[in-house]
Amino acid sequence: MSTSTTTAGDRPPAAPRTREATARGRVLPFPITGQEIVLIGVIVVLWVALSLATPAFLTSGSIVPLFVATAPVALIGIGMTVIIITGGIDVSVGSIVMVCSVVVAQQLVASDLSLPVAVLLSVAVGGVLGSVNGVLIAYGRVHAIIITFGTANLFRFLGLQLFGGTTVNGIPDTLAVFGRGEAGRTLGVPHSFLLMVVIAALAWYYLRHTAGGRHLYAIGGDANAARLAGVKVQRRVLLAYVLTGLLTGLAACFVIAQGTATLAPNVGDGMELAAIAAVVIGGTSIMGGRGSVLGTVLGALLVQTVTSGVTQLNWPSQLASLFIGIFILIAVGADLLRQRARRTT
Amino acid sequence: MSTAVTSSAPAREPGPSTSPPARPSRLRQLPAALLRALLTQRIVLLLVLLVAVVVTFVVLSQRNYLSAPYDASYMSAALISAVPLVMLGLAELLVITSGRGGIDLSVGAIVSLTSMVFGFAYGEWGWSLWLAILLAAAFGGLLGAVNGFLVAYVGYPALITTLATYYAFSSLAIVINAQQPISTPPIQQLYSTAQPVSVLGLPVPLGTLTFLLPTAVVVWLLLNRTTYGRRLYAIGTNDVAAQWTGIDVRRSRFTAYLLAGVVSGLVAVVTVAQFASARPDAGTAGNGMALPAITIAVLGGVAITGGIGRVAGVVLAALLVVWLNAGILLAVPGNAGTQFQLFALGAVLVFAALLNGLTTRRYGAR
Repeated sequence: MSTSTTTAGDRPPAAPRTREATARGRVLPFPITGQEIVLIGVIVVLWVALSLATPAFLTSGSIVPLFVATAPVALIGIGMTVIIITGGIDVSVGSIVMVCSVVVAQQLVASDLSLPVAVLLSVAVGGVLGSVNGVLIAYGRVHAIIITFGTANLFRFLGLQLFGGTTVNGIPDTLAVFGRGEAGRTLGVPHSFLLMVVIAALAWYYLRHTAGGRHLYAIGGDANAARLAGVKVQRRVLLAYVLTGLLTGLAACFVIAQGTATLAPNVGDGMELAAIAAVVIGGTSIMGGRGSVLGTVLGALLVQTVTSGVTQLNWPSQLASLFIGIFILIAVGADLLRQRARRTT
Repeated sequence: MSTAVTSSAPAREPGPSTSPPARPSRLRQLPAALLRALLTQRIVLLLVLLVAVVVTFVVLSQRNYLSAPYDASYMSAALISAVPLVMLGLAELLVITSGRGGIDLSVGAIVSLTSMVFGFAYGEWGWSLWLAILLAAAFGGLLGAVNGFLVAYVGYPALITTLATYYAFSSLAIVINAQQPISTPPIQQLYSTAQPVSVLGLPVPLGTLTFLLPTAVVVWLLLNRTTYGRRLYAIGTNDVAAQWTGIDVRRSRFTAYLLAGVVSGLVAVVTVAQFASARPDAGTAGNGMALPAITIAVLGGVAITGGIGRVAGVVLAALLVVWLNAGILLAVPGNAGTQFQLFALGAVLVFAALLNGLTTRRYGAR
């Protein structure tokens, strides 16, 4: 929202464009921001470099798993983008993944659920946990990071209790539709990635072209001003956390599908940080009020490219985190520079 | 525009002397005053909770509900886990108090990386212990300075900066020695020198006397008896106003992150001695050390918006959690016990946060 107002600038040549924009009744920024173009460029450069270094990289045997592995983090990232746009954050999503996946895995083993029921169950559990966060944050009026640190522990406790000190073994391949294997793709396109792209497109439309979506940006820009302008702040904030819970539930299904027939209690570890990293690399401002889902998807793709690139180059796999850290710093630095440039012109 | 927004939600008046209008009859207002003290003075609340926890477990212990006696010597032996908790809690106190969304997610990663560096210096290069400890503190400070430079001088949001450095430092810690811990003879001997010492007949872990107490005292002196402390509270409360009074806001904030790094570096030494090996995942394994440290700081009454926080609150909060955890381990033995510790930590944190919100609404911003 800040971009549109600042372009009504002091330089004369800018004037006709602004008039045209107001004539169309649109105050929306250009659909693709600079960060996203840069990200696409970086990903392309990385892919070219990696395929030169290891010829196996750009083959379908390597690229398809990369897309499949991107899907869950990107999916959680979409929800996280919505939350961060409102000025909040959710560090409990890793624990939500754990609870959802253990519930679903155990039910798959015990009562042989069908695919739709399993997905619905996972999404419902995620939604309930997300609404716990949402209610506490929106109506308890406490800082999001503190509450979600707390609920992360509570959810983890719940998950560990469900695990009961062992792993879940012999999970049937009901969810293979979302997996890496042949069952997981149509014409070479993995279903999980496709589903994630569809959801990202819906979220993009919602955030950009509906009143409800614009309200989320307004809340992130200035919650008090938004409230005075008639935005139902608490309800919108609650919605953002419930939405993230639902998406995290779906992501948990992807995680089960990508794993083996055994589910260990460390499932979901570190996913909250990976999702936040994807969001931030995608150009969403951690202060709220600015950001896009497209950037997040690209950010998740970049993170996953780095991770699998490091493995394929036979470097120590932990080195990937170092690069992710550096990419976060570069992305935020670029964002700061752009903000500064916008303020001065 | 976006930078200053987060901390401005409640219009906080820094004046401590917000005396309410005079009320009648002192006796009648006593319950109200007690309630007010309990709700607004975090230290009072923590003391009450601490006493409640200890009394509960002592009573349970005397009725033989616990798997081992919960007595003074058990409680003092449990303090070993308070050492990293209090020290990192104090590190978070410094950083969070510095304001503008200050937080440090990277303390655990700093502990990991510094552990390895300390392990190299003391275990492999044969440095003397004092020199190696100095190196650990300096190296931790250097890593903290990276955070501080990015946050204070470049203007990065603290949450993101420390998330990025968390990734970078923890990765380096693992790669630096190809995932291998360092446990050469000098480091193994470090474990035997760190045996509990007897104070008034109680086995007190050595780390509490050599590291925890000095750190707590130094941080307390720093915050309450030096100009820097007053500056830190000033920039945390309102950094624009602080700037106008002539405080070098950037430098003060930078120093807070640097000091947090130094404290984390010292925690690395304690951790190495405790494990008898320098482990590359010392501060990042499982939940890591950062989340419990932030939890302790928040529970201890440090306001996440900056400018408010006391050493006593952090210490009491850590004692509460440590003795609660120690009791849980006796009441629920084995694996389930550690799970209930997670539950207790989460529940206490959510409770404390909700209470903060309630008191702010009821008594106004403190």
